[in-house]
Amino acid sequence: MIKFWSNSIILEFKKISSSVFLGLGASLILASVSYAAVGCTLNDPDRDVKRLFPEATGYKTEFITIKEVGGQELFNKIEQQVGDNLDTVYETIDVPYAFYDVLQGKDVIAHIHGVNQKGKYGGMQLILATDLKGKIVNFFYQKMSSPEATKFMDNNFTKQFIGLSLDDFLKGKISAEDPTKESREDFLATLRGLKKNLILLDELKINRVSKQ
Amino acid sequence: MQRRYLVFLIQIICITFLADVRADSMYKEINIIGGYSDRDKWVGKSESLSNSVGFENYRKFSNEYGDFLTSDLQLRLAYDSLKNSEEAWAVQIHNAWVAYKLGLGRDLKIGHFDPAFGLEPILDTHGTILQTLAMKNIGFNKDWGFALEGSLSELDYKLALQLGSGMSIRHRDGSYLFTTRMGTPATRNFQYGVSLMHGEVLRSEGMQTFPLNDLLSDKAVRKDRIGIDSQYLFSSYLFKGEIAYGKNDSDDVLGYLGEIDYTLPKNQNIQLELQFQSWVNDLAKSKTDDSTIIGGVSYKLNQNITLRAALSHDFNLMEGREDDKILVQFYYFGI
Repeated sequence: MIKFWSNSIILEFKKISSSVFLGLGASLILASVSYAAVGCTLNDPDRDVKRLFPEATGYKTEFITIKEVGGQELFNKIEQQVGDNLDTVYETIDVPYAFYDVLQGKDVIAHIHGVNQKGKYGGMQLILATDLKGKIVNFFYQKMSSPEATKFMDNNFTKQFIGLSLDDFLKGKISAEDPTKESREDFLATLRGLKKNLILLDELKINRVSKQ
Repeated sequence: MQRRYLVFLIQIICITFLADVRADSMYKEINIIGGYSDRDKWVGKSESLSNSVGFENYRKFSNEYGDFLTSDLQLRLAYDSLKNSEEAWAVQIHNAWVAYKLGLGRDLKIGHFDPAFGLEPILDTHGTILQTLAMKNIGFNKDWGFALEGSLSELDYKLALQLGSGMSIRHRDGSYLFTTRMGTPATRNFQYGVSLMHGEVLRSEGMQTFPLNDLLSDKAVRKDRIGIDSQYLFSSYLFKGEIAYGKNDSDDVLGYLGEIDYTLPKNQNIQLELQFQSWVNDLAKSKTDDSTIIGGVSYKLNQNITLRAALSHDFNLMEGREDDKILVQFYYFGI
């Protein structure tokens, strides 16, 4: 009986294997876009969307690269706005950034977007929830490599950014204070990461959608 | 039963590749690994990696109400240097699943994916030399079946019912595998989880899906387990640990793993890793444990390429043959 099952399964594999490989071959041909590793995705988007927007009924995910939206010219513009050179490993032109459109029914009510940012002791992941115009409605660290991580991740620090927009970062109108005694470098890295996040949101999502 | 399951799976895979999507990631993978072992001399593989080329296609499908389906297909064409030339080439299907959204915070997953036990389902060990306890504990780190995954207010949960066959699709001797894990959300610096496992699991050798890997026995092993796992990110250090205890048929078994990863602050593309793992095959007898200590270094050369090296000492008390091994790896994952 066992042998019969074994043989039938092997025969089944022989019959279907050609279909599987044809399917895989077709998928390779159909896949016209190739990406490097994704920039920063939400580890648990369902949980984050429900927590940040209790009225939400769903969300749509979209991966967008600087290369496909505006190429080298846009990359240079973003680099200029950030104010320093983008990292050659983690911030390249072909990093696919994940954007989440938060939905209530069919209506988009907000955006969520995260970025990787190099800190003093390791990487950090900065997640922003914004309204449709790019004003921050929530900010949290998905990952924070710092001996003083709890101070950065505390709500008393992160809530200071609520209500700010890209314009505030570009004009230096940021009043948030460093919550730590010895991690100034990570505080400055946080500000850089948030600014980069809002620039990418503006250039790759909000401006692009408004042009369509 | 198997035929219906396979046809259904293939239909879903084909549909996902023909449908329109907004989020699509197509990665290509090249893995070149080799080294020297006291026991096996020159080797071209590790416990779960061999020289291979492959790809991963990850997609999210949405309609006007949002994302409703996620798919992932990840496979390799691999060369096993320890086999003769006729048997050395094989296709390994790693991830091959679709997850249908039952609502915000609940997914039904079908296909080939991690059993819901221990660190394995929350870590990406696809391209790494250092692995979790899964291979020694369950016997494989992916299996075919169904799963329900979701989140409660403070905890995430996974329940999986799978074939108990690992890489290849088989059903022998009433085999099945039920696993469940409940843990803290993956967004915290300190995470922990509790897992349970019950099943009749087939013992197989080799990582290949096509052709079928070798069965070590037609008899399934009854496995019952309880396990805990944890991760803690502090500054440049990431601590990982897991413990599993239970029975293989009538034998009491115990496994544990501890790992420290350290990212160099001055050059964050370099990571140092130190891991100790041990699996005791029968607590009632002496020298039945299989223990290994591994020290590794990885260097992220650019967005797509990582170079790794690892030095391991296998105490191998069960077979009485200790082994020292050095492995180096070139790993490409990207465009």
